[in-house]
Amino acid sequence: MSAFVFSHLQAFSRAVGRMRAQPLATSLSIVVIAIAILLPLGLYMLFDNVTRATSRLNTEPNVNVYLALNASDGEAKEIEKKLRAHDNAASLRFISREAALAELKKRTNLGDLLAGIEANPLPHAFAVKPKSTDPAALEAMRRDVAAIAKVETINMDFEWAHKLTRFARFAERLVFLLGVMLGAAVVFVIGNTIRLQMLTQKDEIIVARLIGATRHFVRRPFLYFGALQGGLAGALAVLATAALGLWASTEVNALAASYGADFALRAPTLGQAGWVIGLSAALGWMGAFVSVSMYWRQVEVNP
Amino acid sequence: MITFSGVTKRYANGYEALKNVSLTVEKGEMIAITGHSGAGKSTLLKLAAGIEFASGGSVLVNHQNLAQLKEAGVSVLRQNLGLVFQDHKLLFDRSVFDNVALPLEIVGYPRGETGKRVRAALDKVGLLQRERANPIALSGGEQQRLCIARAIVNRPSMLIADEPTGNLDQAYAATIMELFRSFNQVGVTVILSTHDEIGLAHLQCRRIAIAQGSVAA
Repeated sequence: MSAFVFSHLQAFSRAVGRMRAQPLATSLSIVVIAIAILLPLGLYMLFDNVTRATSRLNTEPNVNVYLALNASDGEAKEIEKKLRAHDNAASLRFISREAALAELKKRTNLGDLLAGIEANPLPHAFAVKPKSTDPAALEAMRRDVAAIAKVETINMDFEWAHKLTRFARFAERLVFLLGVMLGAAVVFVIGNTIRLQMLTQKDEIIVARLIGATRHFVRRPFLYFGALQGGLAGALAVLATAALGLWASTEVNALAASYGADFALRAPTLGQAGWVIGLSAALGWMGAFVSVSMYWRQVEVNP
Repeated sequence: MITFSGVTKRYANGYEALKNVSLTVEKGEMIAITGHSGAGKSTLLKLAAGIEFASGGSVLVNHQNLAQLKEAGVSVLRQNLGLVFQDHKLLFDRSVFDNVALPLEIVGYPRGETGKRVRAALDKVGLLQRERANPIALSGGEQQRLCIARAIVNRPSMLIADEPTGNLDQAYAATIMELFRSFNQVGVTVILSTHDEIGLAHLQCRRIAIAQGSVAA
């Protein structure tokens, strides 16, 4: 075993020894740090789930133009030409009555009911993608399209989808901001426990330095201590998130099922858990590093 | 082994502890620095161990100029010295055994072989029976011997002892001095300081008297 690996193993076991020497203080600070991680992590999981649920909604801005039921295929062709010629139409898609019916049968469980109906109740339709979604331009487009003969209904209520997307982006930023702030809190909490440790081990550090301990030798166990504390707190936060999710999921799933939606709360994946634990260990390491560097002078042999 | 050339030490408050001190300690030599308290003995030893650094002149240990050593270099230098302190600097949160094991831990000595080395050192100072005790349960003389065991556990080529008999009674001081004598007889360079001339009376070694920061004779 190389001296480098040995010295790290030694530092690691010293860090574990220090944790075991003060089980209560150590677990208390782990719980405090875990709570700080749990807040942004829980919110992130919540938005992750919501985003997954809403990603199936079509938020593409389409102006849906439905023709009258008695509009023939020929008339539909004529209307298509007029729509294509419109200033604000970027592209359009024709959905025939037959295609619409087939789609409806496929996507819902109304097949039996629809089979009992003699005539197709659905009209021909066009999905027009507008060039500009500016309210004034859209309003002008609605007026122009409504003036075309055999056009029955124009549906362009995609504003809510825009709002939802914007809200999701805002929430993402909120979670990010909260994460940064509480991440800083983790650094400070760990930094403070390390500071207290350095003060209680002041004698040991001074003596060790006097008889030849390098700075690395003194600092390493503190860094491991910080990383261990952070990592354990991260693991605890992941477990707590999973537990909270499980606790809430019975109700959420029942609610979703009552709407016929295929949605289930998802616990953090292994990959996500790894990220959280790794990141909080890194924050712990950082807190320890900052703290040791800041309070080094208090325990230094040569002032 | 140690060469002081025109060494001056001035502290931040302006106090001049050493003035133009030159002396050489040969390999395998035993040397006693004598003088009243405040004469500069401790400062001299601290300069030799790289705990303090000279304001003027140069201090060479094993041909290395301490002023030119980097931080880690000074640490490595100290790992190869045995330091004995007047106030022992023992750690009371661990056993006698663990106190002596600390220098081995610092140099990354294989853990499996630590026990043998520690017990050999404790045996030399006569504390083998006390390895599980807490140092606070030891007498002043025993604490000093424990400090010596810690200093020799790494088998250094040089021992630096600042007032090792400072707090001990006459009889005990003599046994401590004998201990240093025995290390010197197996080839260890010993440099120690004392304000107690009587304790040295029957000790055969070179003496250097320091008075008011200068070598007196």
